[in-house]
Amino acid sequence: MPTNDFNLFSTPSKRHLGDTFLRYPRSAPAAALRFPISSSSSSSRLFVYAPICNLRLMDWQGQKRAETLMQILLVVFAVAALGIGYTLASFQTMMLIYAGGVVLTALITVPNWPFFNRHHLKWLDPSEAEKHPKPQVNVPTTTKKKSSKNKQ
Amino acid sequence: MHSFGYRANAVVTFAVTILAVTCAMVSLSDNFNSPSPTADVKVLNINWFQKQPNGNDEVSLTLNISADLSSLFTWNTKQVFVFVAAEYETPQNALNQFTSVTACSFVFVAQVSLWDGIIQSKEHAKFWIHTTNKYRFTDQARDGPFPLYLYDTSLLMYITITSSSIFLLVLAIGNNLRGKDYNMTLHWHIMPKTGKMFADKIVMTGYYLPQDYK
Repeated sequence: MPTNDFNLFSTPSKRHLGDTFLRYPRSAPAAALRFPISSSSSSSRLFVYAPICNLRLMDWQGQKRAETLMQILLVVFAVAALGIGYTLASFQTMMLIYAGGVVLTALITVPNWPFFNRHHLKWLDPSEAEKHPKPQVNVPTTTKKKSSKNKQ
Repeated sequence: MHSFGYRANAVVTFAVTILAVTCAMVSLSDNFNSPSPTADVKVLNINWFQKQPNGNDEVSLTLNISADLSSLFTWNTKQVFVFVAAEYETPQNALNQFTSVTACSFVFVAQVSLWDGIIQSKEHAKFWIHTTNKYRFTDQARDGPFPLYLYDTSLLMYITITSSSIFLLVLAIGNNLRGKDYNMTLHWHIMPKTGKMFADKIVMTGYYLPQDYK
């Protein structure tokens, strides 16, 4: 996965995110379905015009939605399977319904569908980011003085 | 929930946890079943009744076993293991006859399995079978030295006195099955698809072995 070195207290710029994606192309989840930054190659044209799954991360609201959806779906399918299996007196029916439910939940919840990306993250504008540069770590000057004293 | 792998892991883990909870509830639902099985074992004939060379008594019976175990089956039943056993008592108070030292007397119940079967569906649970005993009905002779308080009734004890000490030599001989009255018990183990296994039995009394060998 591309490592997004977020700082919780400052949102990185959009340009910064694109840089990390470019820098670690191989670690993207399905490398063949790469989003082409430059749409020059003809082989990648197939994937440009049909962004079914966004290969980047889900936004926060989407993640929460995915989690609650997963929990609700699994519990509902389990209860339904138990009820139907008990009334039909068939253990196999119960297991089949539940297995189908698990597969359906995985299909709905795990891939990064567009409806999980409705609330986009508000990235800082690049111009705004330049106004607030990252704080520099101060190099301590006392060590230099000590070495000069020793020389003397 | 930030990546594909994380979400996939979450789905699988939660699904398996819920599966475990579901299976526990399925097993609990078995307790609502109140079974009412019936069984009957008839001893049609005692084919032979002999003392084997190693000292054991052995009987061969022809049995007619009929049972209706269909009420034991629930939706969570994989199979029912049934076995018919003959149970009889073997009192253990030989020492009282020979010495003045009071010894403990234990009563053991010997259980010899005569026939067993596996019923895999409710349709086969009502059955009737005419068979000789599948396993030998033998009374096991005990061998080897035993502590003083565990001897059989039909033991012969040889007390040899020498000049310096008393040796106690004990020979074990198989319990007499002659004239014994025994119970036939039909046991069953309900093996579930998931969860707790239930086991129970029906005891039928009033069976006797003949006094003499034949």
